[in-house]
Amino acid sequence: MASDSLIDWDKHNWIAPPVMGRGELRDIKKGIDGSFRSFTREYGEGIEDFFEPLLEFLVFFEKLLIATPWPIIFIIFGGLTWLGSRSWKMVVGTILAFSIIGWLDMWKDTMATISMVSVCTLLCIVLGIPVGIWMSRSDRVQSFILPVLDFMQTLPSFVYLIPVVMLFGIGKIAGLFAIVIYAIPPIIRLTNLGLRLVDKEVLEAADAFGAGKWQRLMGVQFPLALPNVFAGVNQTIMMSLAMVVVAALINVRGLGVEVLRAVQNQYLTLGLMNGLAIVAIAIIFDRVSQAYGKRLQKHRTGGHNG
Amino acid sequence: MHKLVLSLIGSAAAAMLMTSTARAECGDVNMAEFNWASGELLANVDKFILEKGYGCNVELTVGGTTQIFTSMNEKGRPEIAGELWVNSVRVLLDKGIAEGRMHSLQDGPITGLGEGWWVTPKFRKEHPELDTVEKLIEHPELFPYAEDKSKGAFIGCPAGWGCQLVNVNLFRAFDMEAKGWTLVDPGSGAGLDGSLSKAAERGENWFGYYWNPTALIGKYDMQLLPFETEFAGKDNWDNCIAKAEQDCADPKKTAWTKSEVHTVVTDGFKKKSSVAAEYLSKRVYPGAVMNGMLVYMADEQASGEDAAIEFLEKHKDLWKTWVPADVATKVEAAL
Repeated sequence: MASDSLIDWDKHNWIAPPVMGRGELRDIKKGIDGSFRSFTREYGEGIEDFFEPLLEFLVFFEKLLIATPWPIIFIIFGGLTWLGSRSWKMVVGTILAFSIIGWLDMWKDTMATISMVSVCTLLCIVLGIPVGIWMSRSDRVQSFILPVLDFMQTLPSFVYLIPVVMLFGIGKIAGLFAIVIYAIPPIIRLTNLGLRLVDKEVLEAADAFGAGKWQRLMGVQFPLALPNVFAGVNQTIMMSLAMVVVAALINVRGLGVEVLRAVQNQYLTLGLMNGLAIVAIAIIFDRVSQAYGKRLQKHRTGGHNG
Repeated sequence: MHKLVLSLIGSAAAAMLMTSTARAECGDVNMAEFNWASGELLANVDKFILEKGYGCNVELTVGGTTQIFTSMNEKGRPEIAGELWVNSVRVLLDKGIAEGRMHSLQDGPITGLGEGWWVTPKFRKEHPELDTVEKLIEHPELFPYAEDKSKGAFIGCPAGWGCQLVNVNLFRAFDMEAKGWTLVDPGSGAGLDGSLSKAAERGENWFGYYWNPTALIGKYDMQLLPFETEFAGKDNWDNCIAKAEQDCADPKKTAWTKSEVHTVVTDGFKKKSSVAAEYLSKRVYPGAVMNGMLVYMADEQASGEDAAIEFLEKHKDLWKTWVPADVATKVEAAL
């Protein structure tokens, strides 16, 4: 039948390029879907079990943050802000932001969001920096990974959420995939870039002093690349926060859920409040990590590097 | 002039003339396309018939029940809601109708539909003794929640859907938290579908909210669980169960209310195009036909638009009873 051929010439009208027959196209789609379904039936449980410890950790961390009394959270975040930025203004701003969030009854959701974003960011750093290092050492690896990163950043998240949800069901693991896939590219890209930008002559000097490969990387190249790596960490945090609402679409608790509820019911104030809470967390994380990155740089230029 | 034209509507002799007048008046119509399969199909069939048969120029607005209805109520746009699930918006709708801002043209565009709590057929077979909601909710351990294995997972509605409030209040009325359940918000329609199909594909137990007619219910042969409790009255439902948690202090146990789906139009549309409104008041999809179309849409991964064409081609005998002969000829010619 004409409609089942590789090109459906009956429909061809020189306006749009030739299309595949409807039947063929449908068979391809159904075939791929079917084989994925049987794959999930076969291996789904095993894969789910493999990620079980990660899920347990995510649940544990969220419960821990929610159950911790607020003064302790204030002290921890104030302390982290101080360590990162060494600025009293920033510490006061952080405490103020958290007080307002608590006062407006968004504490639990905020803690849930922070726990999710912290774990995702940590995972991105742990996975992303080694990949970035690997990429910086070989042009072939780079030429292979760059397009993969482009995919990860542009592919609409629901496209890969369909298979992920079929494998893991809705919930934190599926949300983690969505966030990590979207948020990991900047740290990989900027680690790679930072390492490649390190002055060749400095590296030659390191070689001349008889540094081994590992020593050269960890003692010279990586510290010099740190400002760029930190810009990557910073971008990764921002992007995981941006994905909180998408993750909420597949049952990840937190501020995103309230944003969705506000959007669907047209609750203007609720949406604005929760949206602003996400912004507040983002600004705190951003300023602290940037200030930390800058301090690293200052210490280097002022100190022994010359 | 307008009044005169309207007064002529009944006259058969003027019918031909009228159709063309109404057609000229139909003009631009903003129609809701509800964001689920039957809603998409309904909207696209209506669009095709109104455009090709009645000469309207239809623009579709995609959205959920609350979103679309709020916009209709506040702004008078969209002008047509083909498959409006009334239960969640009844109070406001009744008010709109009483004030003459809205009209319900049809109280059953699809037959045999309903909402409720469903389980997988495999579960029904393995536990034939748990055949009502009341018996099943004594056994949360059969539905372990992935994030807290000591609790049973009941999959509710995504936030923002009208049914979310109902599920929350029924969850409270049946005291399910104390029985060891947790109410899971799937986050979105895709989340709800994903959770159901994952469980059904893997042969896991699943207990949650869904509705019929839907492809998913047909495809996995999901089983509706009846309530032992009788329906505890309209007052309890409308003024408590269907309200937000804080507005429903003491929800009474009740079975699901009978679902009502209406085709609702704004007053502006009814005045603008009475003939097209007549079509909307006539079109009724039998449940079996609709389910067949939904399974087709799922199997073929057809969009609402494709499915509308398929429906119009396959079920000519049905839709030709909805429209006058001259309109039918035009629609058929456009296929």
